[in-house]
Amino acid sequence: MKKNFIWYVVFFAIAIVYPHFVNPSWVDIGTTFALYSVVALSQDIVLGKAGMFDMGHAAFFGIGAYTAAILNTAYNIPIIYTIPIAIILSALFGIIISWPIIHLRGDYLLVATIGFNIIFYQALQNNVFGITGGPNGIFGVSTPVIFGINIASQRAIYYFAWFILLITMLIIYNIDKSKLGRAFHYLRESELAAESFGVNKRFYKVLAFALGAAVASLAGVVFAVQYAAVSPETFNFTQSVLFFTIVIVGGPSSIPGVLLGAFVMFVIPQFFREFATARYFVFGIAMILTMILRPQGIWPAKFGKLPKYIKES
Amino acid sequence: MEIFLQQIVNGLAIGSIYALVAIGYTMVYGVMKLINFAHGDVVALAAYIGLTVLMQAFGMHVDKLWAVILMFVITSLFISMFGIFLERLAYRPLRKAPRLSAVVSALGASLAIENGIMLIWGPNIKVFPSNVFPSARWHISGVIINSTQIAILLLSIILMLALYIFINKTKIGTAIRASAIDQDAAKLMGIDVNSIIIAIFALGSFLGSIGGLFIGVYYRELYFQMGWIYGLNAFIAAIIGGIGNIPGAMLGGMLLGIFNVLIAGYVSNTWAEALTFVLLILILIVKPTGILGERVAEKV
Repeated sequence: MKKNFIWYVVFFAIAIVYPHFVNPSWVDIGTTFALYSVVALSQDIVLGKAGMFDMGHAAFFGIGAYTAAILNTAYNIPIIYTIPIAIILSALFGIIISWPIIHLRGDYLLVATIGFNIIFYQALQNNVFGITGGPNGIFGVSTPVIFGINIASQRAIYYFAWFILLITMLIIYNIDKSKLGRAFHYLRESELAAESFGVNKRFYKVLAFALGAAVASLAGVVFAVQYAAVSPETFNFTQSVLFFTIVIVGGPSSIPGVLLGAFVMFVIPQFFREFATARYFVFGIAMILTMILRPQGIWPAKFGKLPKYIKES
Repeated sequence: MEIFLQQIVNGLAIGSIYALVAIGYTMVYGVMKLINFAHGDVVALAAYIGLTVLMQAFGMHVDKLWAVILMFVITSLFISMFGIFLERLAYRPLRKAPRLSAVVSALGASLAIENGIMLIWGPNIKVFPSNVFPSARWHISGVIINSTQIAILLLSIILMLALYIFINKTKIGTAIRASAIDQDAAKLMGIDVNSIIIAIFALGSFLGSIGGLFIGVYYRELYFQMGWIYGLNAFIAAIIGGIGNIPGAMLGGMLLGIFNVLIAGYVSNTWAEALTFVLLILILIVKPTGILGERVAEKV
């Protein structure tokens, strides 16, 4: 544990000095990396920890962003107050959406969550209730003011995003170490065994969705602040595929794995911007090869230590 | 009433295309329990290759009938081989890996094929020549049916009947069904599951390629991301019919085609995709195994 702690300190130390050495477009990439990591970690609660196939997580990310944007631009509510509203709303959505489909197994759940994401996207596109701004989205989201400090500059937003990432990592760490994390773990490994231990299957599965939705919406609010705008494209189903892939490629249920996954899937393609036409072709091949070489993910989670005599037999 | 019947005719044409593509999903899922996300893009690739073959044939002044036959033969052969190649490259190494790793591999393959199409044929829309099939149309009590719709419907029904007979009456078909029920037991009975999986990918890609060519002939506009839309719809069709079940995929495809057209015609065009998914989610809630799927008791 101590060794891991040192690595996290190094990780955040690099993140703190990073924006002072790179040009503004790379600061933006750093901010988005932090936010995508938050969404991927929140998806990992559902996908990696509780073992439910969820491929619609961008919808919760979008609910956060749109809640902040609508409340801020139409009702002039300061961003900082929209955060709890967005979290509660998104968690509620998570519960309402997952409640009827929670009994679906594996791939059926995957398809149902894809469905919710596409319904959400089309609702945004069609300017539902006249509040989402249609295909163009909403412009002019203001910046949050915390304790009298206006988080307006690019670097301030960067640090704000990384602060959110830190909080998320602490939340995930605590979930792992608590009754909640163990319940998720048992449910993933064997639902039947978990139930016979007295784990309330439906309650914990819906709770996983609610938690994942809440954390993702937090990232969504900051995302709306970063670009001062929201548009449907960023919360489309293809975006959910990206978050899904980040978790599986990085290593499900592993914090460093998911961070590494976000780096590989989001930051590395930014290096190859000049090869815009060919890069996604190569990227697709790379995804296949990564899975063949590291089927458990690049940095898989380790659960406890097996004695040597069990490993060998 | 006439408009309604017209919609049904249009829906059956689209539905046959969905059905052809859905069979590829359902067969792979039946044996491997894998959602082959790349299948839609294989279908799109077929449409592009078909267009190229057709234009080449026209360029060499081949008779139109022969050009169309050449298009079907060359494309379906190439795509069948491509399906086998895809399985060998992206899925076979992951057969013992966690299931989601294979899903990501499929997503990677989908991304690679989609962007491969863009690299070869460019990002702009390609247009199929009109009247690939003879341009006859019939007016039957107010309903207009054109020859392309008839050809699509007839050819699809013939292909699906052939597949049905192949699966139910031949030795390979029996082996495919056995592998879908229990792979380990099938192995013990002397079935080479590897060859069965190769056969499934070849068959699924073959039917998918015909579906892709029909998309080209019927809609005429090709764009490199189109595989996703058709693939997703076909996959929904497979689930509605009961995934793993071949007649179910055919039925699901037809029903979804009619549903899509009716929604677009009577309810709303802008909400069509969302309503398709509402239908899917309702079916999943009420009967997760689909219309023709059998309920499998959970083994403990």
